[in-house]
Amino acid sequence: MPVDSCKDAIELLLGYLDGELGPDVVSKLEQHFGGCAPCEEFLKAYRATPQLCKKALAAKMPQAMADSLTGFLRGALKKS
Amino acid sequence: MADAPCPFSEVDGPPLHAQCRLRVGFGDGTVGFLERARAGDLSAYEGLVAEHRDAVYGLALRFTRSEADAAEVTQEVFLRAWRALAELPTEERFGAWVRRVAANQSLSRLRHRKVASQVEVPPQGPEFTERGTLIDEVPDGARDAEGLSLDAELGRAIELASDALPEAHRQVFLLKDVDGLSYEEISEITGESVPAIKSRLHRARLAMRAAIDRFYRDGDNI
Repeated sequence: MPVDSCKDAIELLLGYLDGELGPDVVSKLEQHFGGCAPCEEFLKAYRATPQLCKKALAAKMPQAMADSLTGFLRGALKKS
Repeated sequence: MADAPCPFSEVDGPPLHAQCRLRVGFGDGTVGFLERARAGDLSAYEGLVAEHRDAVYGLALRFTRSEADAAEVTQEVFLRAWRALAELPTEERFGAWVRRVAANQSLSRLRHRKVASQVEVPPQGPEFTERGTLIDEVPDGARDAEGLSLDAELGRAIELASDALPEAHRQVFLLKDVDGLSYEEISEITGESVPAIKSRLHRARLAMRAAIDRFYRDGDNI
């Protein structure tokens, strides 16, 4: 698999972070990152994206709805 | 000599090994919610539900985009989970199971919902020159990616960017990066192959990254 450009390198980021690339490709990729500051920054940013999005998209059940859930389960489970 | 193996023991079985108690989440020596719930203790089950309800409700809300649907999915999931407790020996397994069932229920509701078809824009990633050199650099404000703090404006920008993803990309991104399901679990839920899921996840992450960078570069104009 060639790593001749930033585009090639960025295409491989998921496989790289999942540890699914062969040692030759990893070596070429790391060589590219070592000589390409924008790609190295992009790698760090790409790696941090899931955690940031997870925090941003977290939702908490409103208390009134949580109370209603408890009431529903009490009623349903006592019957069963 | 050690006692017979406990493998997280059944409700009426022998006591759990100390190391197994750690795995089922009550290493302080107290009996955990799960074990008590499995013995039929409803108040312990309420404690277990309280620990997992935000994860289940959040997943259902992100998928269905409806508080009423999310509330109903959450009720259904925890009702079914009570009946499945015997098959869920650890809190980790319980947590994974309720998320998986919530995803199935939510997707099922989406499939049955009549929604006017919308034109989907392919996810946008970074831009390159003709020779494949990266044009977009990570902006200064987003440079310390691991250390970025989340404020309300950035949170809103991420929400909008997630909503703008094509639905199939959005579902994969939510299930993997927000809800923590495995590729195999996502494949089972969506019916897509693992390579297709990985491809969509990559495109979605690139689009989310581009949106975050645009937020820092241009303000909240996502």
